[in-house]
Amino acid sequence: MNEILNLNLITTIIRISTPLAFAALGGLLTFKAGILNIAMDGFMLVAAFTGVAAAYFTGNLYISVVAAVMASMVLSALFGYFNLKFKANIFIAGTAIGILASGLTAVLLKGIFGQMGVFTAREVLRFPQYKIPVIDSIPVLRELFSGYTILVYMAFIFTPIISFVLYKTKWGLRVRAVGESPDAAAALGINVFSIKMQTVILSGLFCGLGGAYLSLDYVSLFSRDMTADRGLIALAAIFFAKGDPFKTVAVTILFGSAQALSVRMQLTAGIAPQIMQIIPYFVTMLALVIVGIQAKRKHFNLEATTAR
Amino acid sequence: MTEALAMTGIVKRFGALTANDHVDFSAHKGEVHALVGENGAGKTTLMNILYGVLTPNSGTIDIDGKRVEITSPSVAIKLGIGMVHQHFKLVPSLSVAENIVLGHEPGKHFLLDLALARKQVEEIATKKFGISIDPDAIVADLPVGLQQQVEIIKMLYREAQILILDEPTAVLTPQETEELFKTIRKLANGGKTIIFITHKLNEVMNVSDRVTVMRQGQLVTTIETAQTSAVQLAEKMVGRSVLFRVEKKPSVPGKVLMEVKSLKVDSSRGIEAVRGLSMQVRANEIVGLAGVQGNGQDELVEAIAGLRQSREGDILLEGEAIHNALPRKIRDMGTAYIPSDRTLVGLSVNDSIWENMILGHHAYEKFGKGLTLDKKKATSFTQSMIEEYDIRGASPQAPAKSLSGGNQQKVVLARELSRGGKLIIADQPSRGVDIGAIEFIHKQLIAMRDLGCGVFLISADLDEIFSLADRILVIFKGRIMGELSSSEATIEEVGRMMAGIARDGEKKIDE
Amino acid sequence: MERRKLTNKKILIEIGRPIITIAIALLIGAAIIALMGEDPVLAYNMLFKGAFKGLGNIIATLQNTTPLLFTGLAVSFAFRSNVTNIGVEGQMLFGALAAGIVGYYVHLPWFLHIPLSVIAAGLAGALWAYIPAIMKAKLNVNEMVVCLMLNPIALLITGYLSSYPLKAPGPTNKTFDIMKTARLPQFSNSSQFNAGFFIAIALLILFWYINNHTKKGYEWKLIGQNPVFARYGGINVERNVVQVFLLSGMVAGFAGAEQVLGVYGAFYNGFSPGYGFDGIAVAMLAKFNPLAVSLSALLLGALNSGSIVMQMMTSVTRDIVKVLQAVIVLLLAADFTLDMFHKKKREDAAGRKKAKTETEKS
Repeated sequence: MNEILNLNLITTIIRISTPLAFAALGGLLTFKAGILNIAMDGFMLVAAFTGVAAAYFTGNLYISVVAAVMASMVLSALFGYFNLKFKANIFIAGTAIGILASGLTAVLLKGIFGQMGVFTAREVLRFPQYKIPVIDSIPVLRELFSGYTILVYMAFIFTPIISFVLYKTKWGLRVRAVGESPDAAAALGINVFSIKMQTVILSGLFCGLGGAYLSLDYVSLFSRDMTADRGLIALAAIFFAKGDPFKTVAVTILFGSAQALSVRMQLTAGIAPQIMQIIPYFVTMLALVIVGIQAKRKHFNLEATTAR
Repeated sequence: MTEALAMTGIVKRFGALTANDHVDFSAHKGEVHALVGENGAGKTTLMNILYGVLTPNSGTIDIDGKRVEITSPSVAIKLGIGMVHQHFKLVPSLSVAENIVLGHEPGKHFLLDLALARKQVEEIATKKFGISIDPDAIVADLPVGLQQQVEIIKMLYREAQILILDEPTAVLTPQETEELFKTIRKLANGGKTIIFITHKLNEVMNVSDRVTVMRQGQLVTTIETAQTSAVQLAEKMVGRSVLFRVEKKPSVPGKVLMEVKSLKVDSSRGIEAVRGLSMQVRANEIVGLAGVQGNGQDELVEAIAGLRQSREGDILLEGEAIHNALPRKIRDMGTAYIPSDRTLVGLSVNDSIWENMILGHHAYEKFGKGLTLDKKKATSFTQSMIEEYDIRGASPQAPAKSLSGGNQQKVVLARELSRGGKLIIADQPSRGVDIGAIEFIHKQLIAMRDLGCGVFLISADLDEIFSLADRILVIFKGRIMGELSSSEATIEEVGRMMAGIARDGEKKIDE
Repeated sequence: MERRKLTNKKILIEIGRPIITIAIALLIGAAIIALMGEDPVLAYNMLFKGAFKGLGNIIATLQNTTPLLFTGLAVSFAFRSNVTNIGVEGQMLFGALAAGIVGYYVHLPWFLHIPLSVIAAGLAGALWAYIPAIMKAKLNVNEMVVCLMLNPIALLITGYLSSYPLKAPGPTNKTFDIMKTARLPQFSNSSQFNAGFFIAIALLILFWYINNHTKKGYEWKLIGQNPVFARYGGINVERNVVQVFLLSGMVAGFAGAEQVLGVYGAFYNGFSPGYGFDGIAVAMLAKFNPLAVSLSALLLGALNSGSIVMQMMTSVTRDIVKVLQAVIVLLLAADFTLDMFHKKKREDAAGRKKAKTETEKS
């Protein structure tokens, strides 16, 4: 039992949850704008690949992160354009982007690096870890807050920032209006396409950070399809938390815990990994059912008076 | 004196259809200007051009004497033009203040200053209206009348000088309409220019200073309200004398076909819409239901047709209880239903006419044995219906959307009346239908009555009710306010009942 | 006269568009291949030959096409009724597992064993489809989101079962090999082309008939076109939505049956390279028409099959096919109306539509 539940677990959970948190934060913006963003895995994957490739060629971690983010944003722009401008069905566009990312990164993996499965750089670059004084000497607090790399801190610091942006800025109000009643927003001169596009590209930015973290920090390698449905899990977290920023990130940590426990339990006790891995999806399904039942009871709609 | 607004030579075409044909429309500062016309006359198109939703093919617009080009709503708003649409453009889960300031939010740089927004909303509401509205109230929780106020405040917040109201009273109770008119007068006295689009000629006479009549894309006349009358306006709207009555023998009502007993039905918003209503429809009679939209008619009709659950009470069809029965059963028992929303409920516009024609009896033997569907039988049946009902421009394979409004309605009629039903529910049967088709429809309904059917007619058009109905019922706040035989009823009396004043002159208190 | 010209133009666009899209995708693929320093002409040559040259290759192509026929049909059929069944992948997995179980644990002569296994697979798929179906019908929850969650759940559950309780001894995570009596006959020595192909074709024809010549097919079309109208006409929309979902899930289950009974002989964890998702692409390409599904499934099947040879003979890997597929799907899913770039024409169309509805509304 001690091998499963020890203080290291906290560290593992935080690190596992970081890419989920990034994706969830970006996905939250698109969610509020009324977009079902299932392309996030694709965004993270190209970011992960670009990060490793850039690290290989430049040897500089920070440039690599920037490159990863840019690649992700380009792909997100493609997704945004096809769905918002050319009216492609969101699920089809999202899945296609995901497949495109998977295929493209695999092709480039072979083409540039000559590898079929995994690629590691010759010398492994590492992000510096920041130990916070005082906190670093207190157990538990140390595991929770100290010793992480910059990307990890960024993910969690962004949480209140995103909440602030959504609820305390003009742009945030418009995003929420556009997501719920695009007609109302358009009638007031708000460019609905613009706002939605902006959220999509921002989700590309966040997924870029998440993907870069994945291949440059969490591990230092790229392997095919390494995002492993993290984007989908992040989406599940958003649904489960009903789009509340703090709750969403809390749920990603919950899901991250399930993931962490899953690995530990398999390694130490041989327990099937699927049992814990299923939690995010299963729990979200339950939430959907409950929400559906609640909505049915209320049966609230403004159809008589608001524009369709 | 420069006009507040001058639109000159406006032309707008949608393909072959000319919606606005060289229209010259102008409005003074501080006046209430009504814009009337039948459906399709072009009034909404004209206003959409003014609000920047559409761009004209040719023509110019001047605001306060200055030439402007209005390419989008945000440009219109900047020019001081505001529009309150028929279907509100509000964000349900946001507050009143948030809805009002959306797109124009107060605050430094990118920050949203909700406290300031609240203050500004309260200022405008009390200053201009003398109405207290809670800026933090969630829009979804407000009654319709207040939601409309929010829409108006929204425009005033943007310092609109010209306010366009599109059919504003369609969703209001008589009291709310009175309030709205007071507000409109106040705004006009304060120098605002109000343009309101309406069907209801009595409102025009009531509140407007000038009225413009449009017909078939052209501006017929602009005249001082004091110098005209409702009848005159109506004539100008259709270009001929409106008061036609279809020939009708007096009815000899037979047995009771449908009976409603103390029915209670909730609306989609969970509020009780039908509040203990009782009525009957007998064979060989046409019962007309008059009432302001939103008094429970929709819910009543949907409950009878089986499209809505009722909470309490009974609906009996020839003695058999059908409340909460499946629509299928109700139809099979012989109910024909002509819905008010033809394109959404009455037809599937993207499908072919034959596919629309067989719905409801498609499972019957006459269209194929067992599980199979015999297309030949379906199309030949459709063809015979097309001929019998004089549906112009139709062939069985053509998509329903290729037909004009009146012909589409004929498809609905053909389908419903050819099934041999006893009870016919006709909800707004002549809405959006040209005069010729209206006459045809009215004749059909009377013919069905003479054959022994009972017709339940719901219409916002009092002329239609008076023309067709043998008995007139008035619905008000979910109950039958009163019943009159059409021979003894007058428009004034019916109108009073629609406003909630009972026959004996006592105003019914809301229970 | 003008009407006929318009329909001719329309037909040209209908056929021309997929062809142009494929051409563009091939060009993009060629560019990527060239950038990698390989010869695109050679690669495409091998791709084409690998798919179509010689009986052996053709049969391999048909075998690759088979699962796509099933999943493409499942998605198309559902979509016609406005049911977006993207849970096909999960339904297929459960169908496959059911086939694997019935195929092993039951002992029957072949003429009973095969149908029973197939039916079990269809039932399993239908049951898994029942979850999003009932949620859509009764709770009005968006079925896309539910299916999104159910696919990984299905993968995890079947993965667990085939790796632990139902696992056959040995290094691979799979169930026990099914009895010979449950095996779908194979017709080739070089590939696993099996009778499942013909079952798929038969299903396509059956569903085409149902769609166009039965009363149920008419009802199902209507609930997709205008559910309010359908309900008003006495059709129980909720019940029919569930029926459509179940049938769609059943067909997806059959896809799994073909894989287990015809190809692998057992449920191998991870056997599906995403046939369910490919089915969506197939359905889209076919514009949700069951008969056209045969063509689009063939296209994708050919790409998959030919890419194996391409990978063997050149250094271009199969992944390029994913890129081609994604590009094709994206381009076809997009709505590039020819006058899209003219604001006036665009607003005219919108205005016309709006004018018509608002005229008849007020």
